[in-house]
Amino acid sequence: MSKQINVALIGNPNTGKTSVFNALTGLNQKVGNYPGITVEKKEGVCKLPRGVKAHIIDLPGTYSLNASSLDENVVIELLLNKNDKDFPDLAVVVSDVENLKRNLLLYTQIKDLEIPTILVINMADRMAYKGISLDLEYLETHLKTKIALVSTRKNQGIDRLKTLISNYKDLSISHCINLSEIDPAYFENLQSTFPNQLIYKLWLVITQDVNFGKTDRNEIDAVANFKTKSKNDLKRLQQKETIKRYQFINDVLKKGQTIDVANAKDLRMTFDRIITHKIWGYAIFFVILLTIFQAIYDWSSVPMDFIDSAFASFSEWTKNQLPVGAFTSLLTEGIIPGLGGIVIFIPQIAFLFLFISVLEESGYMSRVVFLMDRIMRRFGLSGKSIVPLISGTACAIPAIMATRNIENWKERLITILVTPFITCSARLPVYLIIISLIIPEGRFIGLSYQALTLMFLYLLGFGTAVFSAYILNKILKIKSKTFFVVEMPNYKLPLLKNVVLTVLEKTKSFVFGAGKIILAISIVLWFLASFGPGKDFNNAEEITKKAYSNQNLTSEELQQKIASHKLEHSFIGITGRAIEPIIRPLGYDWKIGIAIVSSFAAREVFVGTLATIYSVGNDDEDTIKNRMAGEVNPILGGPLFNFASGISLLLFYAFAMQCMSTLAVVKRETNSWKWPVLQLTIMSAFAYVVALIAFQILK
Amino acid sequence: MNTIIQNILVGIAIFLALYFLVKKFFFKAKTSKKKCGGDDDCGCH
Repeated sequence: MSKQINVALIGNPNTGKTSVFNALTGLNQKVGNYPGITVEKKEGVCKLPRGVKAHIIDLPGTYSLNASSLDENVVIELLLNKNDKDFPDLAVVVSDVENLKRNLLLYTQIKDLEIPTILVINMADRMAYKGISLDLEYLETHLKTKIALVSTRKNQGIDRLKTLISNYKDLSISHCINLSEIDPAYFENLQSTFPNQLIYKLWLVITQDVNFGKTDRNEIDAVANFKTKSKNDLKRLQQKETIKRYQFINDVLKKGQTIDVANAKDLRMTFDRIITHKIWGYAIFFVILLTIFQAIYDWSSVPMDFIDSAFASFSEWTKNQLPVGAFTSLLTEGIIPGLGGIVIFIPQIAFLFLFISVLEESGYMSRVVFLMDRIMRRFGLSGKSIVPLISGTACAIPAIMATRNIENWKERLITILVTPFITCSARLPVYLIIISLIIPEGRFIGLSYQALTLMFLYLLGFGTAVFSAYILNKILKIKSKTFFVVEMPNYKLPLLKNVVLTVLEKTKSFVFGAGKIILAISIVLWFLASFGPGKDFNNAEEITKKAYSNQNLTSEELQQKIASHKLEHSFIGITGRAIEPIIRPLGYDWKIGIAIVSSFAAREVFVGTLATIYSVGNDDEDTIKNRMAGEVNPILGGPLFNFASGISLLLFYAFAMQCMSTLAVVKRETNSWKWPVLQLTIMSAFAYVVALIAFQILK
Repeated sequence: MNTIIQNILVGIAIFLALYFLVKKFFFKAKTSKKKCGGDDDCGCH
């Protein structure tokens, strides 16, 4: 029978921990959340020699076991709770060869918890560039562990790491420092009060404000109440502990590590000077953005056209294969077009995340954060707000959760309130389909108008967020400031495996996250569009034939008129026409109104909804884009999606708070309905007014 | 597939879709309230 061991992968941020995780687990990994909170939990399985399997948990990056965020709490809670099902049999601490001194602080803390620990020294391929040499035997002896020198980039050292993991029972669990030496009287008293407990665990329970679930609660409470010293004295003891740990690390590294500065060949400083330059830095970032949006358009047009026509053909094929009936109609007019409305955007979403992943992997994104900090400070926010704002390009929900790292409450509140203005991936399908309908395909200095429009919408979202922050800052009067520290990782060539895994994971969550909602809404919409109350719906054929009896319509034209009449008098048509007076001044008809209302569940539902509504009763095999392009404005005549109504829609979606889940998260994070209600009201009103002005000027 | 079967399948699909949507948007699972670490007022307490 194979045995499974729990392995916790722990390390400072930017040490390549996730690369080690990917190298160990490959595709045998899953991403979830820790119970009750929203910190991402990555788990995977690694097969080891002798049939042993390792269940590997990639814990959130942390600098030490002195927690200051929810992410760091997760690490401490797991390491202190032996009853947790994930409690590690072994800890693998990942460090970066260039920042060994700082990374070893966490290592010494974990070691003192008497958990068998392996030290991974990652990015070994950088040693020659940096003139670093290590005496591994000396380090292993004095750090009382086994070391794996790893280069995930060159796939070196992973086999040794696997062997070390499978032999984890041979590892020493002796401590790095003797805590009692810091304050003998205090620690001896603590130990004598709880003789059977590990002293470092007791110390962490006393000094850390973390939850431990139901397990050991009473016991831990008893320990946490053991505060014979004042808060300041305890802080002073913590400082002494840190100094003692660094003394230990310095002593070990003095002989175990040699850095020959003369032999170091590093262009990092030169690059940093250019990339974070107050003029060139922004210019380079702007050019990179232009390139990304251009590439998104150029590269994805072929696969998008293919997917669009494939869904249209599939729908037609299904209709021909299945007998006529309600379920066939549901499949071909509801489910397939609805799903097509989301699948079509996979290429563009994948390319967007490909670029973001490459920028993050290369180390460039940290420079962007540094650059943006300069701008943010002028608008009353610190660089800490930039991380949630950049995360907002994927989805506002994790971005709002990421604001938990902002200690200042008012600064955090402002970031929460403005983050939904950032263009998230859910807006992308709406933007792309409208842009393709109203913006011509021409080019300006090699850049397509469509790509430029998309980039403008991203900048508009960011600009509105920053400007709103400025106004909120004036209203809310932030007095205190937080300080922002960003670590600049080394520049490196992105690892293909990491990039591919990120793109797969993000695209999967986009498709399956929204896909289930779209599927359900498509089914409900199909029902509402296919059935209706009263004589107008049930006698649609007779009424239409009578109305057009004096016109020589072909059979096909007559069928279209009947379908149109039925749709208008269906449940959805009645609802749509009820809300039409509100949206007509913006240039929209009732069908767009229905799409806007249903997209409150998730913005990307907009395209799926229109695809479903336009498919009901329509026998033609056609793509979503062609169907939308063929829609006629019932009042003004001409295409429904023209330049004026299209721009109006783009602006509406740029500013409106069309996301139920985001509102729920804002409510949870602010612990009040006041802020989400204000956010919804102000953003919706602003979006409506801007869309109205745009349409009335451009029509 | 006769008409009755088709109608039954449609009924099941609509029921499941409504059940999913109502459960997702109106009956969300309650999450436990956890406090974050540190002494600062981060607003999540």
